[in-house]
Order: sequence, then structure tokens, then C-alpha cells
Amino acid sequence: MRGENDRLSQTFAALASSTRRAILTRLAEGEATVNELAEPFNMSLPAISKHIRVLERAGLITQGQKAQYRPCSLDVTPLQEVSQWTEQYRHIWETSFDRMDAYIEQLNSQEADKTEAKEQKHE
Amino acid sequence: MSESTKAANAVVIERTFNAPVDLIWRLWTDAEEYPKWYGPNRFTVTVVEMDVRVGGRRLLYMMPPDKNMKIWTTGEYKEIMPNARLVYTDCPADEAGNVQSLAAMGMGDDTSPMITEVTVLLEAVDGRTKMVLTHAGIPADSPGASGWEQALDKMVAYAERSLVPDA
Repeated sequence: MRGENDRLSQTFAALASSTRRAILTRLAEGEATVNELAEPFNMSLPAISKHIRVLERAGLITQGQKAQYRPCSLDVTPLQEVSQWTEQYRHIWETSFDRMDAYIEQLNSQEADKTEAKEQKHE
Repeated sequence: MSESTKAANAVVIERTFNAPVDLIWRLWTDAEEYPKWYGPNRFTVTVVEMDVRVGGRRLLYMMPPDKNMKIWTTGEYKEIMPNARLVYTDCPADEAGNVQSLAAMGMGDDTSPMITEVTVLLEAVDGRTKMVLTHAGIPADSPGASGWEQALDKMVAYAERSLVPDA
């Protein structure tokens, strides 16, 4: 569980950059070399490489070993975990709101009892 | 779960409560009321700080039924429009309220915290309250946020396509 959360943190940290998200979006269309990835950005190759390393560490992309091209491709596993993360939170919220519903009913019936008691007093 | 709420990065839940909007607002913003409903099943929630002002801090912990650990979270209130709109951040913390970064958890040198953002929209409908909750994995105001949701949705669609089990 702990390991899972740590990995999720790493995925979110990796996704918290518009440049890195743009890189991933580009890779969703197919693999690309570092040069190709750098093209749309006004950025040096070392700067782009640094972003790629962050994505690689988060397990979001893999870099091929093919000689000088070493194309990058998207690894979807952490994104699946992002979906699972939201499902965990959805469960917690749904549970909480069920409890909120029950609590409101409790408050409403207390209120009704009070009103009833008052009415009886007046009679 | 409907397709429309199945966003990659966020949980969106819509509910209608049988209570006036000011009561629902109080359940979200009152430190004594909040623990009465919030949290995973059978967990107890303790609010240490709930300073509902823009820039004000939240600090609370949850304990599982056997109370053998405390899970701390902190956050900051971003937007407060009574009875209408509440936005706050939510992230793992230590008991002093220090946001836990990857580095602090022994995960390399990245000091970015795992910040999530909760948005609550309330609307009075005939004495009842319609509520829309959005819990996003990455704050909407993070740099270059515009369009990133679409990008991530696109990636997840790709992920789902490519993970279709081999027939």
C-alpha cells in the first residue's frame, strides 16, 4: 500500500509539468526520439532530456536501446494506477456522503421531535 | 459509474441532500461537524486545525478502527463563497503539518508534494441542496493547467486501447 502511494506520488509529480504532459501526449501518438520530442519546444536537448528522465523514473515512458536513436515510448501502467487512485478516493467520498445523509436525517428528526414537543406544550 | 464522471485525473460526484444549503455549508466548514461524516468507513477523523479563510490551513488526522496509526493530511483554503463554493488543497503531511514530498518519503530528490484539490459547489434547489464535488489529482491552477486534462484523458484512452486483453 505504501509503495503504491509512493509510486502514485511520483506519477503525479511527473505529471505536474505542462512540458512533460505535452511529451506524453506526443508519445500517445507513437514513439519518438529525443530530438523529435524537443522540436515543438523552445528548449535545449539537455533540458528536454531532464524531463524525459523524470518521466522515465516515474515509469511513464521507456527508452529503447536501439543505438543512437533510442526512441521513447509511453508506458501506460502508471496512468492506470492514476485511475485506480481516483477510484479509491471516489469510494471514500461516497462512503462519507452516505454518512452525511444519515447525519442529516438524524438532525432532521431531532428537529421534528423538538417542533412536536413545542406544539404539545402549546396545547 | 457513468462515462461522463470517469475523468482520468479527478473524481466527480453529484449528490442532492435533504437539507438547506447553509446546513451543508456548515457540515463542510465547521471543525466539530466535519469529522461526523468525513472519512473512510469506520475511521475516526480528528480535526486539529480548520481555519476557513482564504489562505487558512487545514490539518487533520484519521485513525483506522484499531487506532494503530495516524494518517495526517493538511491543506489550504483557496476559495470561500459561503453556501456556494469551497476550494481547498489536500495533501499527505506529518503531524506538524509539513507537506510530505517525494524526497521526504525517501523517493529521490523531487521536492514536489503530492497535492490534490477539492472543489465543492453547492446550490439550493427547493429547500434541498445539490452538491457537486470534484477531487482532482493535480490542482487546477498548476502551471500550464489549461488543456492538460484533455491531454491526460487522451493518454488514458490510449492506455485503455492498448491494454485490451489479447483475444
